[in-house]
Amino acid sequence: MKQLTFAAAVAAISLTGFAAPALALDVEAAKGLAEQNNCMQCHGLRKDKDGPAFLTTADKYRGKANAVDEVVKHMTSGKKVKLADGTQEEHKIAKTMPPNDAKQLKNLAEYILSIQPK
Amino acid sequence: MTTQESGKQGLWATLRKPSAKYSLLGLLVVGFFSGIIFWGGFNTGMEATNTMAFCTGCHEMKDNVYEEYKYTIHYSNRTGVRATCSDCHVPKDWTHKIIRKIQATKEVYGKITGVIDTKEKFEAHRLAMAEREWARMKATNSIECRNCHDFEAMSPELQKKTPYKKHMEAKAAGQTCIECHQGIAHRLPKGFKKPGTEEEEE
Repeated sequence: MKQLTFAAAVAAISLTGFAAPALALDVEAAKGLAEQNNCMQCHGLRKDKDGPAFLTTADKYRGKANAVDEVVKHMTSGKKVKLADGTQEEHKIAKTMPPNDAKQLKNLAEYILSIQPK
Repeated sequence: MTTQESGKQGLWATLRKPSAKYSLLGLLVVGFFSGIIFWGGFNTGMEATNTMAFCTGCHEMKDNVYEEYKYTIHYSNRTGVRATCSDCHVPKDWTHKIIRKIQATKEVYGKITGVIDTKEKFEAHRLAMAEREWARMKATNSIECRNCHDFEAMSPELQKKTPYKKHMEAKAAGQTCIECHQGIAHRLPKGFKKPGTEEEEE
């Protein structure tokens, strides 16, 4: 019994440990910002539409150190992107309130990168 | 006229009595110009309630929706054209404007009872208020948006391809601006999901 309690305690501690980095991510805020900027009109969560799914982006950058910065740059630089039909278009520049709030943009990038396959 | 009636005194009797002193023309001219002054005054007064200063006179508007609107394109943009509160929330033509102004008197009651007098209360009511406004806009075919925006005026060369495609689809489907463009000048209510972006499981 004692051993079991110990195991449970270890599991609880390690779970908290794993959950800790994710705590910094505000999923609700990220989803709100994505909705406000109409991201989901072109990107699915796990489904490619005119643009790649958030999951596709997450897979592309998984394990890469500069992932967050790259995704923020993608959302804010208005660079040309390739659509599903092969044509090119300038990507919409994501807006925040107040403008160019790095924290909010980073949070959204982290959310996109956090999407896991089902 | 009986002697009993002619003997009546008071304001009403005076008003009903034909004028013996002023000519009909004089009365008509005075009445005509008084009418112009009254009508002008009434409309000037009503226009005063359409200004941004009036709308943001209440802290409920100033601290919430106005604060957010200041960060949006309808407040500040490349060309310097500003759409103020009333440009989007009050119809331009007189009949619809009067109807909207009468409806807005309910907001005075809301102000007195303090239904949204704190940020928390405002957020709690945001979705209900937004949905009411979206329904109003949908019912009028987004008449206020269309004072400036028009499907016909959208250039396939100048508008980006994806928005243009979506606009033409919307036009063909008989959709109106507000069905897609919610929360363009204010924050979207928390948890609100725009139609057309199919729900995916987390």
